[in-house]
Amino acid sequence: MRGFDKLAERFARSVARGTSRRSLLATLGMGITGAAVFPVLPVARASTHPGGTPHQPVTSGNPQDPGDRTTCDYWRYCAIDGFLCTCCGGSVSSCPPGTEMSPITWIGTCTNPADNRAYIISYNDCCGVSSCGQCLCNRNEGDRPQVRTQSNNDYNWCLGSESSVYNCSTAVIVGVALEQPK
Amino acid sequence: MTDRLALLIFGLATGLIAAGVAANQPAVLPMPGVADAAQAHIDYKLKCQGCHRPDGSGDDTSNPPMRDMVARFLSVPGGREFLGRVPGVATAALDDARLANLVNWTLYTFDRQHMPKDFRPYTAAEINVLRQNPLRLERVETRARLVAGFMQAGKDRHIEN
Repeated sequence: MRGFDKLAERFARSVARGTSRRSLLATLGMGITGAAVFPVLPVARASTHPGGTPHQPVTSGNPQDPGDRTTCDYWRYCAIDGFLCTCCGGSVSSCPPGTEMSPITWIGTCTNPADNRAYIISYNDCCGVSSCGQCLCNRNEGDRPQVRTQSNNDYNWCLGSESSVYNCSTAVIVGVALEQPK
Repeated sequence: MTDRLALLIFGLATGLIAAGVAANQPAVLPMPGVADAAQAHIDYKLKCQGCHRPDGSGDDTSNPPMRDMVARFLSVPGGREFLGRVPGVATAALDDARLANLVNWTLYTFDRQHMPKDFRPYTAAEINVLRQNPLRLERVETRARLVAGFMQAGKDRHIEN
């Protein structure tokens, strides 16, 4: 025990001899300057590249269903208004874990560029967890003013589910539209 | 000889497939007033299914069920008019002929068992008149009154039997 005391004393005295009281200021100052300079260092950031994509594209691999499902340009999103579930841990036809698919949906039609036919798309919202915030997409083709309640997509369609908190939107094909007489 | 055998096998296979297809096809029941059932189904998907569900089941909080329910309105006074004036029908973006086709199809598809024996299909002209005067805020009250009407009638019939 005595030896331990001696050791501690020697260590404390050597620190006191070897450092000045103001050296704390010098160390802190160096730290602050270093922290300020750090972001200026030439670090490559993928998102700043003009042609780069911030994430991996998600495709079906099927030539009949072309396009990247994480981008708003994907054909099925023509009437969507919301966050894409493909960017939120779900997919174009399924909800992210922890959310519930609303049974009540907004339904529209989109033209598939592969065959130029109009498909009926059901935009089921995923509900129960706060907004995903990724890949906002707001294309609204066929959207009608709010006086036509059933054809307006600004409403929260999370009404039929347990929780009315909106997370993201899917785009499920439910049928092929017939040729309409003009 | 092998040719004949091949022909025989081909014939048998075709016959079996045809029989299988025939067995899987649901019997097509008549739907008076439905000129084009395929068109009606597409229109149902586009204009109704989003809220009333693909099978017409609905729920009691957001959108009323139509399955095993919708044709019962035809049995009470004012019910036939209600089905043409309810907002989802009256304000649907379809012309009168397609809307009449759709309403008749919906009745037969989701509630054939309650269809009155003497049902006259909705015509484009009748739909045209009804949709001129759509129900607005009074729709909930109107529906509740009609539902109470046919529920009571159902009970009376039960007691008589």
